[in-house]
Amino acid sequence: MTEYLDVDVRPILRAGGEPFSVIMAAVDSIAPGQGIRLLAPFKPVPLFGVMAGKGFAHSETEIGGGEWQVLFTPMETPPPAAVPATSAGGAWPEPKIRLDNRELDPPEPMVRILAAAETLGPGETLSALLAREPVFLFPQLERRGFNWLGGFLPDGVTYELTVRAPS
Amino acid sequence: MIGGSVSKWTMSYFAMGIAWLFAAEALMIAGFGYPGADVAAPETLVLVHVVAIGWLSMCICGALLQFVPVLVGKALVSEAGALPVLGLLTAGLIALLLGFLALGGRLPPWLWLLPVGTTLLVAGFGLFAANIVMTMWRARPLAAAARFVLVGLAALGATAALGTSFAWALAGYGGSGLNAVLDAGIPLHAIAGLGGWLTLTAMGVSYRLLAMFMMSPDVDIRRSRTTLLVGAATLGLAVAGGLAAIAMRAGLDLVFVLTAVCGVATAALYGRDVVDLYRKRKRRTLELNTSMAVYALTSLAASVVLGLALAVRGSFAADIGAFVFLLGFGWLSGLVLAKLYKIVAFLTWLETYGPVMGRVPTPRVQDLVVEPRATKWFAAYFASVWLATALLFAGQAPAFRVAAFGMMVATAGIVQELLRTRMLADVTTNARLPQGAKLPRLLHS
Repeated sequence: MTEYLDVDVRPILRAGGEPFSVIMAAVDSIAPGQGIRLLAPFKPVPLFGVMAGKGFAHSETEIGGGEWQVLFTPMETPPPAAVPATSAGGAWPEPKIRLDNRELDPPEPMVRILAAAETLGPGETLSALLAREPVFLFPQLERRGFNWLGGFLPDGVTYELTVRAPS
Repeated sequence: MIGGSVSKWTMSYFAMGIAWLFAAEALMIAGFGYPGADVAAPETLVLVHVVAIGWLSMCICGALLQFVPVLVGKALVSEAGALPVLGLLTAGLIALLLGFLALGGRLPPWLWLLPVGTTLLVAGFGLFAANIVMTMWRARPLAAAARFVLVGLAALGATAALGTSFAWALAGYGGSGLNAVLDAGIPLHAIAGLGGWLTLTAMGVSYRLLAMFMMSPDVDIRRSRTTLLVGAATLGLAVAGGLAAIAMRAGLDLVFVLTAVCGVATAALYGRDVVDLYRKRKRRTLELNTSMAVYALTSLAASVVLGLALAVRGSFAADIGAFVFLLGFGWLSGLVLAKLYKIVAFLTWLETYGPVMGRVPTPRVQDLVVEPRATKWFAAYFASVWLATALLFAGQAPAFRVAAFGMMVATAGIVQELLRTRMLADVTTNARLPQGAKLPRLLHS
């Protein structure tokens, strides 16, 4: 029977914060064989890929009010070889490129991110700071097979986006 | 999918809306309906519904299908639902217009066309609203702009319910209750439609579009919430208060006075929010769509001032046609045309160059448009609308038709610019159609 560590990111998101680092810290802190029970105000789809890369299967249930409980359970078999090892940060290496697009007129941030993304090697990442959520960029990234993670920083006005090239 | 992709049928809605705008302008040039006929004449009803449903609602629905997913960060529940809605709205509007013509004796007395038309319209707007509301439901908690849209949709529901009861009463299927609503309720239908559905929705969408296109910080949520609360109260007061007054066989004067006070307050609060958006913008040079929006906003402010002046003078009822004309063509149509100019360029750019962006050099959005040329047409449009409004106040019906002709010429100029944008006709760089990019289709995406 898997034991789960509860991680509730709802208050962080409500306060406009970015819960990614909290989740990753929790992943690093649990014992081998332990899982994570995540409570979030939405279905955290982008996280599923990241957690799979770290060797966790997910099963999600809507718990009412639009909120979701996701159980991340360690997989019996190691993750596929295509995804780098399960060491912390392994699946999402340090960004190779860092962009600050906060002062650019839209849609210039999108153009620059796509241009930079095209230069990434397999599995490499880039990070970008933006003045707003790049809603039109997401479908373009997904169509090209990129993973992404994004959220507002605690200042509430800077949006940080991390893009990972397909491996 | 999270985020906003290009909605397949938005361009079709815009094209259909523009066709109806030309129809409305042709009717005005021909002297059909107000001011040649009474404001309540069946001919005027034809004209008003061509503008309100055919032109404005069609464009606003098309824009919402595209931008609600952007506002809330969730894909539409049903992308496929967009096309049947377009068909139902068009068929419903045509049946309704034929019903009005029958009412005016221009067709045999086929008054059953009226309930047929409203039934089709209710089905179309109902499907549309269900799609939008369910999309929003998935994306709770809602952004401020999305809440405006929700209240706008509630107003659409009230407008449609009142319109439906009029249609049944006019067709002779109404009991005494519906007949009483028909006798006194037409102003409530107009307030809910023009002030609630069209204006509140336009306000909500404008918060987001203006912030996006001018790089302004979003309006403080507490402030926009106040604006929305007062707007929703105006609407609730007009519709619920009005119906209660009709049920109690009391006069509607008190309801109208309270509605006017709240309506003016809503416009003032909205004005405050919008001035803030312009003042705090990071993009110093205004693009055409935002500079032309200023004329639309000025028309809204002028409508409010005019309405107050007329009320004080006691001639509001006599001049209501001119007042509604300025709201409909100066504020709502002006804003829609200005935003279409940007939306068409942006969506065309995204559709054409999105798939190859970053891999090959691509033009900028602004390379798709020639703003100095379009500015002249917009200037001609607003000048014609303001002149036409003045002529309505002066009771110059023949001269009004000349001004309406000016509006049509200006509209044709603006539409020609939209077509050129859509066909990438003004992209001069040699990167017009790089490898892998396709010329977009004119009427859908």
